[in-house]
Amino acid sequence: MNTESRKRALQYFFEKVVGPLGFKFTPDVELKEFLLEQEVVLEAKHGTPFCPCQPLRHERARDMKMVCPCIPFHREHFDAIKRCWCGLFVHKDVVDPNTLPQLTPKDVGLE
Amino acid sequence: MSDRFVRAVCADEIAPGGMKAVEIDGNEIVVCNCRGVYYAVQRRCGHMNAPLELGTLDGTYLTCPMHCAQFDISNGEALSGPVPSDLGHEALPPMLGAYMGNIGMLMAHVRTESMRAYRTRLEAGWVEIAL
Repeated sequence: MNTESRKRALQYFFEKVVGPLGFKFTPDVELKEFLLEQEVVLEAKHGTPFCPCQPLRHERARDMKMVCPCIPFHREHFDAIKRCWCGLFVHKDVVDPNTLPQLTPKDVGLE
Repeated sequence: MSDRFVRAVCADEIAPGGMKAVEIDGNEIVVCNCRGVYYAVQRRCGHMNAPLELGTLDGTYLTCPMHCAQFDISNGEALSGPVPSDLGHEALPPMLGAYMGNIGMLMAHVRTESMRAYRTRLEAGWVEIAL
């Protein structure tokens, strides 16, 4: 299987999910390509494109909340920081992701 | 590559986003309508032979109904293998557990192969396929 082809397919499917949620792919193309590539690797290994920046606990209920795009499961935090944890997705109004503040869930009152 | 185009299906019979299985000269083929562009690929999944017209077509991406392997119908390329199923948390009865263990061992060796894609053309309202 070809990594580039799978990256394009994942991008096609993810756009349909994250768009209605108010998110888009990061404008940082290099980061986007890197993260999608890691997801292809994870999918080839586990059968599922897990978030590349989160550890797997091998507890299905918990791990399924880390399947990209995991926005619906962690939306309160993502909305507060205007991006997802790994930075693959940002709010639609974000032009420069590097200017976004780094806030923990505790910082935004979620813990 | 062959230039022998054969009538496969009337174009009106397949709605946009739809698929239809046909058999021509012993070849099982799925004809797909992707926004008015017709594609044709082998009918049997490159993973475990499931009939792909029962799957899901989104753009040029076809998802197998059996284990959710995905393919690009524009060239037949396999994009992903089977998605793991959830057997739940409860232990299976011993005999069923042994059976599933054996199936799992065998399935670990099953490869998802790319599929044959056929050239198509529209001619007088018919989708024709190059065999």
